[in-house]
Amino acid sequence: MYGAEEVPPPSVLWLSAVQHIAVLGIVMVFPVLVARAAGASPTVAAQVVSAGVLALGLGTALQALARGPVGSGYLAPTGFQAVYLGPSLVAAQAGGLPLVFGMTIFSGLVEAALSRIWRPLRPYLPPEMAGLVVVLTGLVAAAIGIRFLMAGQGGEPASLADWAAAGFTLAVMVGLNLWTRGMLRMFCALIGMVAGYLVAVWLGLGSPAELAAIAGMPLVALPRFDHVAWSFDLALALPFVVAGVAAAMNTSANVTIFQRLNDTEWVRPDMRSISGGTLADGVAASTSGLLGSYGLSTVTASVGVIVATGVASRKIAYAIAAIAVVLAFLPKFAAVMVAIPGPVVAGALVFVSCFILIGGMQIITSRMLDARKTIVIGLSVGAGLAVLMFPAAAAAAPAWVRPLLDSALVTGTVIAFGLNLLFRLGVRQRVSLELEPAGDYPQAIQDFFTQRGKSWGARPDVIRRAIFGVTQLTEAVIENCAPQGRLTIEASFDEFNLEVHVGYHGELLELPDMRPTEREVREAEDGVRRLAGFMLRRNADRAQSARKDGRVVIHFHFDH
Amino acid sequence: MEIMIGQSAGVSTVEPKGRIDSLTAKEFGDRVCALIRSGANRVVIDLANIAYISSAGFRALLIAGKLAEESNGRLVLCGVVGEVQRLFDISAFSTAFQIYPTREECIAKVQAG
Repeated sequence: MYGAEEVPPPSVLWLSAVQHIAVLGIVMVFPVLVARAAGASPTVAAQVVSAGVLALGLGTALQALARGPVGSGYLAPTGFQAVYLGPSLVAAQAGGLPLVFGMTIFSGLVEAALSRIWRPLRPYLPPEMAGLVVVLTGLVAAAIGIRFLMAGQGGEPASLADWAAAGFTLAVMVGLNLWTRGMLRMFCALIGMVAGYLVAVWLGLGSPAELAAIAGMPLVALPRFDHVAWSFDLALALPFVVAGVAAAMNTSANVTIFQRLNDTEWVRPDMRSISGGTLADGVAASTSGLLGSYGLSTVTASVGVIVATGVASRKIAYAIAAIAVVLAFLPKFAAVMVAIPGPVVAGALVFVSCFILIGGMQIITSRMLDARKTIVIGLSVGAGLAVLMFPAAAAAAPAWVRPLLDSALVTGTVIAFGLNLLFRLGVRQRVSLELEPAGDYPQAIQDFFTQRGKSWGARPDVIRRAIFGVTQLTEAVIENCAPQGRLTIEASFDEFNLEVHVGYHGELLELPDMRPTEREVREAEDGVRRLAGFMLRRNADRAQSARKDGRVVIHFHFDH
Repeated sequence: MEIMIGQSAGVSTVEPKGRIDSLTAKEFGDRVCALIRSGANRVVIDLANIAYISSAGFRALLIAGKLAEESNGRLVLCGVVGEVQRLFDISAFSTAFQIYPTREECIAKVQAG
């Protein structure tokens, strides 16, 4: 309804910003969980949240910058990220909050560095892996939500009241999203959370200590940073590197979703916007650690809300940043966030996980997948699920490997990265085929490019164009150019280009810029031949026909 | 290539299946032209089951369209979607033919003259 460059009316702009803050409120549970794991009081937990809110305002504003090296140019709300949860919980237990903050700075720096070399890294982190990270984030979000209900916040099984509050929160969000229009649909997540919070408190589900902390906090006060200290532990470097890589992939995938949402003719990721977004993401995470808070990245739950509502104006990012700065001066807000009842968080997480999961699956299936890629994705999702389902098995693993097994996202991403590297060994990027003009060449061309396209993980639309180009060319050559012997086809692929060279001995086939007239196509002797050349030129992004060493070589280039 | 020919409310319907290339275009064009010459000159060609159409296929369609026009008949197309739509676009023939989304719309347009 509102694209990145459009400016909605002030009411929609500010209410959208408030809704995004509310959605970011769902993930504020992550620093609260980490603060609790470090044994921090509700007051310190609120300080961690406040510092993070300040950093997420900065991160969201940086993301919206459309010029310069920093920023994706989209409304990409930044918030506390699930990818940091596993490593941060381990750090909290091993070295308290200072270790969490120090390692978060390190992770953000890793991500910022990656953003500068993201383009050459792309073959090793292909889109189906970015989609996998999103799917795992969706699974983790749903699992944390369900865990709140099944195990309760204090380890107790959920009561009937817990289920009622979670069910009510989810039902309000789903109901408003499916069966209403306009403002009610746009603000379904915000309304659901407020309604759920009120019902949960009415049902007596708030934590008395945390609710008391709300009452004890001043309304307005300068943010406090007396909890801030930093430390570093080399033993935890690897999981935090993985968290940085996963955050970069998460943001790369989110920015790709925004590009598609804002451009109906989207065909390939815009790398400037992706690397600018990743740099902004790393800066936001490091700033958060510096200010004494938990790791930040663009929030896929917010992407879900933007896709569900269609409100994507980047002006909203600046409104979110303004609200975040104000909120950092309102300690009661952080205390309210710390006290959101678990069942409300559960209902909201399950709601947003629907959109995250489907978004990730769409990214995965946007590429052709062969058996290798199917196995990479299947095993990685399976490993992630195993970590979610059997956390005790990870706890029993040797100490050096445990940091990789504490988080489904880290485990799944590392396995996918390793398998992708291993399976790339057998994939030839340059392949060739010889065609007998008398044979069933259409089927041979179809099979050749389909199989190669799957092993390359190419986009299906590009492979379809290559199949048409080579088939039409072969047909035109056989009919018009008196070929002697076989035609040879060579194809080479990287993430950005598909090059196809077709060589034969015979007459040159021209690739004219001008189409023959209808009459010429019907009646002229060379009408069909010239039409074929014209279609071949327009089918590829670049096409060239030349005679070389006595052979005709026709070159098609396809952008990928 | 398989070609199904039928009649619906006084309009001939032609439904080719498979590929229209240099091997099949002649047979396809001859069948449609024979239909028009036999007096059934109001023709709907449904391309929904065509996976590939080459320059030879476009020539067959242009010849049939011209013949229908000369015999005061009409030739319209439907089922031009996906890859076939793209091939009409790159051949710059999307506007050379009357194309409608469904067979029912085609029949109604041909009947209306």
